[in-house]
Amino acid sequence: MREVDNANPSILNVSQLPSRSRKVTTPRQGPDSKCDNIVYSKRPWLCGSSSSEDEDLEEEYGEDPVDAQDIYDLISPISDPEHPHTLGQLSVVQLPDIHLTPPPAERRGDKLVTVTVDLTPTVNHCSLATVIGLAVRYRLEQTLPPNYRFDVRMKDGSHAQDDQVNKQLGDKERVAAALENDTLKGMLDKMLETCV
Amino acid sequence: MAQFKQWALEYVLADDEPVKLQLTKKAAKGKRHSTRLPYDSRASSTVVGNWAASVHQWMTLTHSNDDDQLEDEDERANGDIVSRAKALGFLAGTLEALDKTILRPDQGLTILVQRLIGFFGAMFSYDHKAGITASAKALRQLYSMKNFKPEMGIKVLEDVSKLKEDFRLQTAVTRLELYELFLSLVEDPAVSSELQHKYGSSCGFALDLLQLCSSERDPRNLMIWFKIIRRLLTEFSPSPEVTEEIFKAFSAYFPISLRSSATPIGITAEDLKEAVRNCFSSHQRVAPFAFPFLMQKLDQGDAVTVAVKVDILRTIKACIEEYENPQASVVPYIKKIWGSLKYEVRNGEVKESIDATIEVLRAIARKLDGSKTHKHEVTLLKNYIDLVFGDCKDDLSNPTYTKQAGLLLLTVVTASIKGYVFYNASFIDIIRQNLRQPKSPTHTRDLLLLVNSILKTRIELFKNRKVGHPDDEEQLRSEPRTHLVSLFHDVYLPIWTGKASESDSKESDVLKQVALGLGLLVSQQALDTKGEVSLLCSGAICFEICNLLTVTLVKPLTLSSNDNQSQDATLEDDVVLALRTIIMSYTDGYGHILKPARKEIQKRDWTGPSEYSLEALKILLSRLAFIGCSEIPTQVKSDTEPEHPYSPLRHYDAWLRTLVYLFPLSAQSLTANSYILSSLHASVIWFRDACEARYGTGALAQYSNSDKNWLAEFEQLPGTFFSQAEGQSILPDEVASSFGEDDPETYLQFLRLSLFIVRGFYKGANSEAPWSEQALVQLAQTAALVVRSLDEKLQVSCNLAREAFSLFKTSEDKPCASPLSVAEKFICDTSDLGSSPRASDIKAAVGAIYSNKYPAGPAASEEYQTLKRGLEFWTNYIKNAVRSSDIDSGSFHSFTNVAMHTVAGAVARQEKFVLDLIPILHEAAASPSPNGEIVARSMGILVQPNSEVLNKESHANIKRFYKQWAYNFLVRPLYDLARPGSDKDPKATARYSIMILSVIKNCPFTVYQDDLESLLRLLVTALSNKKDDSVLSEEAAQAQVIAALEILVDILANEPSALKGFLKEIISGTTKVYQESATSNKTLHKTLTTCRKLSLQVLGALPKTFEERYLLSFSRPTQRMLASACGDPVRKVREAARSARANWAKVV
Repeated sequence: MREVDNANPSILNVSQLPSRSRKVTTPRQGPDSKCDNIVYSKRPWLCGSSSSEDEDLEEEYGEDPVDAQDIYDLISPISDPEHPHTLGQLSVVQLPDIHLTPPPAERRGDKLVTVTVDLTPTVNHCSLATVIGLAVRYRLEQTLPPNYRFDVRMKDGSHAQDDQVNKQLGDKERVAAALENDTLKGMLDKMLETCV
Repeated sequence: MAQFKQWALEYVLADDEPVKLQLTKKAAKGKRHSTRLPYDSRASSTVVGNWAASVHQWMTLTHSNDDDQLEDEDERANGDIVSRAKALGFLAGTLEALDKTILRPDQGLTILVQRLIGFFGAMFSYDHKAGITASAKALRQLYSMKNFKPEMGIKVLEDVSKLKEDFRLQTAVTRLELYELFLSLVEDPAVSSELQHKYGSSCGFALDLLQLCSSERDPRNLMIWFKIIRRLLTEFSPSPEVTEEIFKAFSAYFPISLRSSATPIGITAEDLKEAVRNCFSSHQRVAPFAFPFLMQKLDQGDAVTVAVKVDILRTIKACIEEYENPQASVVPYIKKIWGSLKYEVRNGEVKESIDATIEVLRAIARKLDGSKTHKHEVTLLKNYIDLVFGDCKDDLSNPTYTKQAGLLLLTVVTASIKGYVFYNASFIDIIRQNLRQPKSPTHTRDLLLLVNSILKTRIELFKNRKVGHPDDEEQLRSEPRTHLVSLFHDVYLPIWTGKASESDSKESDVLKQVALGLGLLVSQQALDTKGEVSLLCSGAICFEICNLLTVTLVKPLTLSSNDNQSQDATLEDDVVLALRTIIMSYTDGYGHILKPARKEIQKRDWTGPSEYSLEALKILLSRLAFIGCSEIPTQVKSDTEPEHPYSPLRHYDAWLRTLVYLFPLSAQSLTANSYILSSLHASVIWFRDACEARYGTGALAQYSNSDKNWLAEFEQLPGTFFSQAEGQSILPDEVASSFGEDDPETYLQFLRLSLFIVRGFYKGANSEAPWSEQALVQLAQTAALVVRSLDEKLQVSCNLAREAFSLFKTSEDKPCASPLSVAEKFICDTSDLGSSPRASDIKAAVGAIYSNKYPAGPAASEEYQTLKRGLEFWTNYIKNAVRSSDIDSGSFHSFTNVAMHTVAGAVARQEKFVLDLIPILHEAAASPSPNGEIVARSMGILVQPNSEVLNKESHANIKRFYKQWAYNFLVRPLYDLARPGSDKDPKATARYSIMILSVIKNCPFTVYQDDLESLLRLLVTALSNKKDDSVLSEEAAQAQVIAALEILVDILANEPSALKGFLKEIISGTTKVYQESATSNKTLHKTLTTCRKLSLQVLGALPKTFEERYLLSFSRPTQRMLASACGDPVRKVREAARSARANWAKVV
């Protein structure tokens, strides 16, 4: 086996990754809280026409245009081709490096949206940077609607040959050609296995 | 003779086991007949002789043939061995089939048995190939005969020993036969005394056996061999030299393991380990060999795996526990054992081996202390504890080893009451010294943990004082206690006051230990010289402790939200637990907690409380309820006179009084008021659970004949009693103290008290401030909980059926009204409904319970008639109202809701009368008036799961297959009517369709699976209906689409193949639904979102179930549609779209 480029990357715990669900507060867990959900129930009277699930549905079904966190959730579970960790855990993908133009609040209808993702390879000579970039691009294409355009790049200065890599990733034809390559496609599929 | 010969021949020639068995039985019978002749031993001896001689022809061959010759004539020889073995097997089999008493104690027969033994015994010398199995079997049979004499046993042993080296060449089964023979012989008291007599301590036979069996490896045989060895060691008195030989024989197997085998033999490695362990622990005479051997094995260091280490430790423990005369057998090795074991704990990391080591050390202490009946010289134990103390004392000042050293000391000191009484003072003293100069907060915590553990173990020792030797209790009477009592002022209090203000998490860990320690300290009991039990700490100290902890409990309420930033409530939780422990023994304590808490609550202004204050109030009330009501207090004497006499309900009573006193907190803050009723509900749940745990679930059965009317008793009390209950018990003292904590009467009285409180609150309740819906719901649920806990008879005698409708309020018509008429009046009253959905929901719930409640008695019974009238009233009401144009759709919705729920209660119990109502409902739904649509859509309520109202806990009557039953009558007849056709009214068919879907939506798949064909046609129509030319209102149309999609999801999960013929329609239908519902519409947002999500879910599930060829033609447009669905404004819908898109991406 080829020697890995970075044998010892720093890894984030799953709980340290940015997520939307963290904002929900957990109920109190005291010794006395056994009957809390009975006696302090949000919906005390569960019979009849006024549907009991209304409040929950309200929260769940609220309108929420695609934002940076959504993009992060789509691409952070991609596996690294070298390590048994995800791109999120290795901080290759970082929430502040994802940008959408126009921002969610200003979006109207089916206008074009450009998603810019800056990747940070774990070492600046990473030979698999192109593959990782390709995987991110491929994942976004598979999961976002046709009015989205993608710009996947290496973050400035994070890679010794970022210009070259960016050029490759920006070239539609080369990307399409790469996806025709069975070996490369197999590798991408493997990396995307961890995405649900 | 000839007969025996014939049988023998047949036996030798036979191959089948049953045939052989038959022959041996015949032979046995033949023998029995002849031996039954009284006093004719000669005759019987002839028969036996004939029988023995019947196998002669095969035997003689053997004898004439030498082994060498046989080798030359292999084939013939093998044949001979086989037939010879069979011939001997015939003899052995006959003996086995023979009644054991046949060979009666008779001189002649004894000689016969002797001869037989001689004959079979000789086989071990001469015939190693053919004779052993049969002879072993025969000898075992002979051994069990009555004529067997002990000296014959010796002969058998001697004979068998002659096998020598050839023993291990025998098959495992043959060896098993022999091992069993040996075991029976050594276990036979007569034989073993004979052996003792003959061999004495030299035990020659034992050495022979050891030699014979030295290389056994078969697990089944080993199990018996180890039993024999144990027997040799325990029942014979072998000399030290012989003991050593025996020891070598079994210790060679240690540590034993078992290779896993494909054919299980019913013996586990654990069984073998146990058997070897039994050999080690068999007798103290093994001690000089066992301990050094085991210690040497243990000291091999890293070479020993954890499993082996644990095995060694358990074996040492077994030895210590089993050996008698510890002075000679254990004491000489203690130093060595301790020397090896202390590092296992001090530096050990593996929990299993640490635990096993601790067990060994505890076993030593217990052994040296003595048993239940006999106590050893106290110096033995003292020397041992001194040894441990000497080594561990200094480690307590080293934070790295504090925990481990403490564990070691705790183990040896608290292993026995004697050890505890002698050493706990000095132990605590050392800890105290170290606590004065702690090295770090963790050090303090570990030391406190140690003190707490001592206190915890003391409780255990105290509880078990009567189990052991009478001396133990005596020791406890005279134990020194001042050092324990002073723990509060010397140890806990200074640490608490020193650290209470710090918020560091390490310091908070220390405080948690202090809190738990205080709880344990107050729970300590002591024996006075008369043997009476009382609390160890004085009332004054207990009071001080309660106050100290209550401050922490109440603190969050006293602070403002800015001051209380701490998210970590674990210290407060531990304080709560400690307080609960405290007031279980120090019963005055709860009053000392409630008083300041109540004051603090009242001090605050509750007119416009902040969210923080409300949360603090809620938590405080919840904690107070838990502290006082989650366990039943115990009665222990204290040095101060209690404020009230003991009663198991004392805390509960005090808490209820506090709640009554606090309610309402303010006329404005409805939430704060409702919290008081929530905690009332919680405390009833807590106390009921405590009663169930203590007295069992069936404890109330013994009071089932009670015909008391508690409510009438309550009426006798002065009207102001409830509101002025402050300061006095609700239960009169003489009632409260008339039963003890173990008396199930507590449970009954608890319910009585709860009923009183619920009634009291209800009397003051109304729909205006300070009451709120939340408060009323909590009160209602509490009342339901109390009432349903009561026995049926008691419910009747208290007339609760009527009270339920009058809400405990005394009204003028009360004396004459029967419960039934009150109920009927309530149910059939439509005036209080209006168009409020809330009122309708509540009435609907009552209606459902009402129609579910009465048992289906005789049709003429008054109950049944009332029920029928109620049901009829509502169905007819709907039938008439649906046509009336006076009723707006809001009110009509309310009525339908009540009507459907009322009928649903009867449907759940498959009430036959419902069948008469169904046509009326069908007709109402098909009515051309717009309200008919409401009826059609509400039809699903009839089979809707309604577990909040109808559940097992509330004794609801729910038949297992009621949905199937309802489906048959409610839906089946409608399929034809719902099919569109030119001759039908489109409105009516649409209504029928809605009705079907709304019912099926609430049924499991198995209910409707037989009608999938017709159903799918309906579903497809529902999905493809054009929006504009629908005869339904938009709301109804959407609801119908949702129901259709939900049913499709259900079908896809259960029988997806049914959809095969409808794929095109379903794909185009769901696509259409998605596209149509992708418009923004504020009022229908939720419905439209559900439609989009479900349609994507159905669409996405298709590629997972159907092969590509069925879907290929739809692939491109569907994928395009799904791609744009990935940009849906709602996140959940996007998720469904992505998953569907990924599934469809594979269809190419």
